[in-house]
Amino acid sequence: MIHALSERAAVGTSRKDILLSQAVYLRDLLRELVLRDIKVQYKSSLLGVAWSLLNPLFQLLVFVFLFRVVMPLGISNYGAFAFSGMLAWSWFQLSMTQATGAITSHRELIRRPGFPAAILPVITVTTNLMHLLFALPLLLIFIFFSTGQLNVTILALPLVMMLQFILTLSLAYVLATANVLFRDTQHLVGVFLQLLFYFTPVFYSAQQVPQKYQMLYQLNPMVHIVAAYRDLLLFGKMPNLMVMLFLALAASGLLIVGYRIFMHSRDRFVEEL
Amino acid sequence: MNDAIIVEGISKSFRRYSSDRPASLKEAMLRGLIGLGAKEKFWALRDVSFSIAPGKMVGVIGTNGAGKSTLLRLLGSVGKPDAGKITVQGRIGALLDLTSGFHPDLTGRENVFVSGVIFGLTRRAVTERFDEIVAFAGLEKFIDNPVRTYSTGMQMRLGFAVAIHTQPNILLIDEVLAVGDLAFQQKCLERIKQFKERGCTIMLISHDASQVTQFCDEAISLRAGKIVAHGKPEIVVGEYVAEMADETRRRTPLTQPVVVAPCGRELRVNENRFGSMEMKVSGVRLLDREGLPAKEICGGHPLTVGIEYETTGAISEPIFCVSVTRSHDGFVCYDTSTAAQGLAMPTLSGNGQITLTIERLDLADGEYYVDVGIFEREWAYAYDYHWHVYPLRIRALRGNKGIIAPPQRWRFAGGI
Repeated sequence: MIHALSERAAVGTSRKDILLSQAVYLRDLLRELVLRDIKVQYKSSLLGVAWSLLNPLFQLLVFVFLFRVVMPLGISNYGAFAFSGMLAWSWFQLSMTQATGAITSHRELIRRPGFPAAILPVITVTTNLMHLLFALPLLLIFIFFSTGQLNVTILALPLVMMLQFILTLSLAYVLATANVLFRDTQHLVGVFLQLLFYFTPVFYSAQQVPQKYQMLYQLNPMVHIVAAYRDLLLFGKMPNLMVMLFLALAASGLLIVGYRIFMHSRDRFVEEL
Repeated sequence: MNDAIIVEGISKSFRRYSSDRPASLKEAMLRGLIGLGAKEKFWALRDVSFSIAPGKMVGVIGTNGAGKSTLLRLLGSVGKPDAGKITVQGRIGALLDLTSGFHPDLTGRENVFVSGVIFGLTRRAVTERFDEIVAFAGLEKFIDNPVRTYSTGMQMRLGFAVAIHTQPNILLIDEVLAVGDLAFQQKCLERIKQFKERGCTIMLISHDASQVTQFCDEAISLRAGKIVAHGKPEIVVGEYVAEMADETRRRTPLTQPVVVAPCGRELRVNENRFGSMEMKVSGVRLLDREGLPAKEICGGHPLTVGIEYETTGAISEPIFCVSVTRSHDGFVCYDTSTAAQGLAMPTLSGNGQITLTIERLDLADGEYYVDVGIFEREWAYAYDYHWHVYPLRIRALRGNKGIIAPPQRWRFAGGI
């Protein structure tokens, strides 16, 4: 990116213009590639956009059957409860899985002169965010019918999403880099995510975890993120601001570290692929 | 004036990992971190320096593995040199991996946008140039069909059309001028000339030495990562071609037994037979218009050259070459090859046959030789080359001077 900037500097435009045109370019690149990924996913399937909805819906059906009928957890509005947790979680999980291969599966783009490789993990995380956004209206309808209301606190949802975006992206940078060096990172990530799924309150409530494990349990950032989604969507209250602030700071720091690691190894990608 | 490209003493090494280097985390963990280091280093580029003035077109020639592509990628700041410095003035455009952004399931239109932004255009710029791009590729009728329904040629044309509608100050081209049919190639060359006229600096990698002499202002010849020559294309290319002949001589095994060609002549290594013998010409037949073996044909009649070959291992994309030379002075009257015709051979193994039919051979009356050869895929050296082994007598109208004797007719319309 720095390189591209100095190139344009030579043409004789002011620094502000350069930054602006670079920003426009990166936005266009992000938009076109995200659009491509989404189009490709839906063109090759019969039901199109419906898949964004069908997948979580089927999973929801399983949860409702298991934890309302077979062994009830005693959570009110369980459908909306599990659905909100699931959407947040699948965004995280799909992004992680796909971002791990973001570099290895785009060999030809990495080898293009001038292509900003750092955008690839951003594309993966954004594409999966789009899937969440497609499903969001359904979730809102669901919540409205089961609780009879929609809370104003929903308006703060974008903030939590931004937080999750930063957190996911920072991890995505690290995993994408690791996978270039060790190709079985992908499998490892798969196993680890499955584990993390059960340690995240997706289909149960964090309060059900016994007190003596809570310290350890709370170390998982997704615990707080899923909780924040539910606070805003279902319970109509603001999430714990201190925790959110801390998470935001930690995620931003992690993003800088992840990005650095990525850029540091960037020149090696070409050779390793 | 500032140079557009300044390369100062760059070196680039690649690690050649030993085959037991752990490719996965599992292996690395099982064996500890000992096996992680690279076992061997090889230099793709070694202390390379040159500078190029703006608006020049420079051809880079060299055999496979000489470091051409590495040099081009480093200029495009893909990867970093281990030592040295590259200064590039201006926006870089690249004609390489043209169809890399394409997705087969998307339509041509969608792919133009994706590919356009990948090539460095903003969405608006693509929108503005869209019609021009499609017209250049000549795909107006197909632009809303999925790219998977396109032929390879069509895909390449579209890729090229997008790439060429960017506005670079420096253009890097890697072996892509052989895109599509002749008319399209001509269009591409025209376009590249326009770039040059606008002051765009161009670096072109080519196996085709004649392309370099034809279009470039300068040529750089690379061998094993070092610059062996940089200067006027004719001179650099000449040296390269001579070097190639040396390479063939060096590789020719001296122990090859003398064999007798079907025409009765002996094949003697380094006299009339050259090459590494990894792939051999095991038989050559010259056939006349009836398809019968002939040592003599009439001028203007067709000639078919049948070449039988045998290989010891798999040979990737060899080039078959046939030329007709005048026997008394060795003048090359006619020369062609599978590569010159844009015919890419697959990887060959075992035995086989290839034939060339020349529809009319309008050569002047006289004695000739048909020289036959098989070359390495980049003309680096010959596998087997039979020189002045297969004689051919051509009977044509006598009394003409010169090389060719086409059908002719005098008509007189003056007053008597």
